[in-house]
Amino acid sequence: MLTTFLSQIVNGLILGSLIGLIALGYTMVYGIIQLINFAHGEIFMVGAYGGLAVFTYLLPTFVQQQWYLALPLLLVVGAAVSTAVGVLLERFAYRPLRGAPKLAPLITALGVSVALQELIRNFYPGATAALPFPRVFVQGTVEVPVPGGTVPLRWTGLLIIVVSLVLAYALSSFVSNSRMGRAMRAVSQDPDTARLMGVDTDRIIVLTFVLGAVLAGVAGILYGTDLGFINSDIGLQNGLFAFTAAVLGGIGNLKGAVVGGIVIGLVKTLGGQYLPGGTAYDYVWIFVVLIAVLVFRPQGFFGESERVRA
Amino acid sequence: MTTRTDSAGTRATSPAGARTNVPPPQPGGRLDRLAAPLAPRATAARVAGGVVTVVGAYLPWVTFVLNRGPYPEKASLQFFVAPFGVTGFRLHLVLFGLAAIVLALVAVPARGRILRGLAWGVIAVSVLNGLYIAVQGGGLGAITASDGAVAFGAIVALVGGVLLLLGAHAGGIEPRPEWRRQLNPWVERGVLLLAYLALLFVVAAVLTSGGQGGAANPFSGAVFLSFLGALGGFFAALHASGLLTWITALSERHRLFSVLVLLVVALALPLTPAGTEYWMTVAANIGVYAATAIGLNIVVGLAGLLDLGYVAFLGIGAIVAANLSGAGAARFDIALPFPVVMIICAVVAGIFGAIVGSPTLRVRGDYLAIVTLAFGEIFVRSAQNNIGGLTGGSNAIPGIPQVELFGTRFSDRIAVGGLRLPAGVLYYVLIVLIVALVMLVFSHLKESRLGRAWIAIREDEDAARAMGIRTGPIKILAFLTGATLAGFAGAFFAHKTGTVSYESFRFTESVTLLAAVVLGGMGTVPGAVLGAALLFTLPEKLREFADYRLLLFGIALVLIMRFRPQGLVPDRHRRAELAHDPADDHLVEGTSGRDTGPTPRTEVPA
Repeated sequence: MLTTFLSQIVNGLILGSLIGLIALGYTMVYGIIQLINFAHGEIFMVGAYGGLAVFTYLLPTFVQQQWYLALPLLLVVGAAVSTAVGVLLERFAYRPLRGAPKLAPLITALGVSVALQELIRNFYPGATAALPFPRVFVQGTVEVPVPGGTVPLRWTGLLIIVVSLVLAYALSSFVSNSRMGRAMRAVSQDPDTARLMGVDTDRIIVLTFVLGAVLAGVAGILYGTDLGFINSDIGLQNGLFAFTAAVLGGIGNLKGAVVGGIVIGLVKTLGGQYLPGGTAYDYVWIFVVLIAVLVFRPQGFFGESERVRA
Repeated sequence: MTTRTDSAGTRATSPAGARTNVPPPQPGGRLDRLAAPLAPRATAARVAGGVVTVVGAYLPWVTFVLNRGPYPEKASLQFFVAPFGVTGFRLHLVLFGLAAIVLALVAVPARGRILRGLAWGVIAVSVLNGLYIAVQGGGLGAITASDGAVAFGAIVALVGGVLLLLGAHAGGIEPRPEWRRQLNPWVERGVLLLAYLALLFVVAAVLTSGGQGGAANPFSGAVFLSFLGALGGFFAALHASGLLTWITALSERHRLFSVLVLLVVALALPLTPAGTEYWMTVAANIGVYAATAIGLNIVVGLAGLLDLGYVAFLGIGAIVAANLSGAGAARFDIALPFPVVMIICAVVAGIFGAIVGSPTLRVRGDYLAIVTLAFGEIFVRSAQNNIGGLTGGSNAIPGIPQVELFGTRFSDRIAVGGLRLPAGVLYYVLIVLIVALVMLVFSHLKESRLGRAWIAIREDEDAARAMGIRTGPIKILAFLTGATLAGFAGAFFAHKTGTVSYESFRFTESVTLLAAVVLGGMGTVPGAVLGAALLFTLPEKLREFADYRLLLFGIALVLIMRFRPQGLVPDRHRRAELAHDPADDHLVEGTSGRDTGPTPRTEVPA
């Protein structure tokens, strides 16, 4: 019993830190321009496909076979592809709509999300079905001894947890300590005043998209490495989870995004294990938790309570 | 319908115009500058544009055999048959070209503006056909020269269109004239009658243009798009002349008459060339989504509450109807008469609407959108898992019997008098009545005390509350009403399609519905119907692009938001989403990084 419980916890943590990594991008973009960037999940997906493309078509065999060569390369490529897409989106889809009615960027984001997903599905060779993704990391599991047995922990899972936490920490110290980070916070508090103070708001917004996209690209590669295959709809699904995570944690809040992601991961695995309906209903529990949190604590775990404007 | 609210008018009154980073949705300014050198010879440019267009129309467009085409021999002239047997785009181009020449020489009020409309029509037709020939018909060679013949009709026509456009701008775009003339009321009614008959003709032509899509008719999408382009130019020209504005004003003066005539005209669609079983089915499907879109319009357009899971209510209506229909896979072994089923569906959907709406008491703006999205996902997941044995899961609920009243099955073909009507016509009549009812409910609610309360909440919830509006119950009421209407539509949907599966009610459908509302223009009835008609006809027509349907849809959403965010039929009174409220401008109270920082919680007139 305990081993099942603990291994579901482990699975939840793995999934959760991956979702948290994606959620960071959502939360930063929302914090800066109050846009639910529905296409962020697709940026994650595109990163995974970019990595796959480079691995399949460009890498020589000896690099393919050595994971310590291939993995860092793929992570960089995934991040680069995601960043390129994210920057293009910001420049050509969202920036023209800045100051437009609230609904316009949201619907644009939905449109971009559909379009990106379909682009990959139609034009990436073989993407109409799931594609095998290279498992560029140590395979197998390590058995962690616990009272009453052992809990299996995948090496790739461990990789996901470690990389996610390191990146989240790096991001948070960048945002709170660096000059650019200070500018980001300034823009998110009041873009007009920030502009008056000499902050190049356009550049800061691009930076925000870049940071989010880098994390999403890395997450895409890690996801593929862990699961061993990718699909063109992984963006929609995980994007939805990640957004939920960002909202749970209190949107605009970095720590909240990671914690929210882990909560989502745990709810999914534990709910699928212990709640009625089993894994078929694990999605349902995620959204039930989301609704409950939003209704009873609309600002999320870490957000401050709402200041009602007069 | 709007009277004087063209896009420029709305924008001029809104402070949004003052912001530097809002691009002008029409590239008017740049074109004016581009056309400036032509100004002394504007008339010459206009005439030349018209002549070149006509010449382009008669040049060969394709010089090789199109495989599987309707013209198996060398198709040097024409590669598809246009609506009503008229010779498609060529006829449109010739008419546009001749009209342009006449307009260039005869002084007509606002002729520059009219010419601009025609020019865009010519450009649309030539670009669409040229692209189609180039992409589907065998590469660029097909539109330039091959086989010894010179086939650059598309390019010449495009040049003609651009010349026309520049000529129109060079001569100046006049303001749209206003027709103030009051005629004898009966003459006015006659004009309206003619206008509505013309509308019927246009609708029938749009529906049938290109014919049924699919493998048997590979050109349907191209013909349809080309026709749409020509129609766009035609309506732009009519609108420029002030005629449409005048007719709108007339219809408002004779409101009851208009409504009745429109209803009769809608019911007369089966008598037009669109009166076949296939088009009746397409029209009925459009009707379902139009009714649902109007319901969504109450929630989003009037009350300003963004709902991203709205299609669930249509699904709930459909599932309830399926279970009460006596279908083999249904949970309950009863078959209730259809009107009763409809009412039950509406009530059940309404109850769910109230449940989904109840978080509005505490959650606002984007957060509410997420809650509705979550409810939508919960619905889809539960339906997929066949919750309670109600939804059939992945097997769906097949075999829902046809609606039967007075011993007539609605799928049968019937004859009234000596007139033989196509099969499915009864469903069409039924959905027209449902849509009419939904429209009636919507427009009455909009003008009512409740509707004004919704609009007040949309504009500023706190102010509305301060004015004594009980915002909580009224917001829930918006969800309840919208869901009820969707439930009605769902009952019809279940019986018409005969199978109810959770796959029809996914997130994409919700997005499509929302897009229909936004594309049409939020808060307006014709807008929702027009949007639903466009978004659910296009996939039907573009069957041969089946793989790229969603891709095109996504790109279209982006382009619409970029160039016409107020929708095709903007609401006169609605300003909250369009006029930029400076108070909402700051990205208030947000930090991206520090976990000690306050969370951005702007209430959003979403």
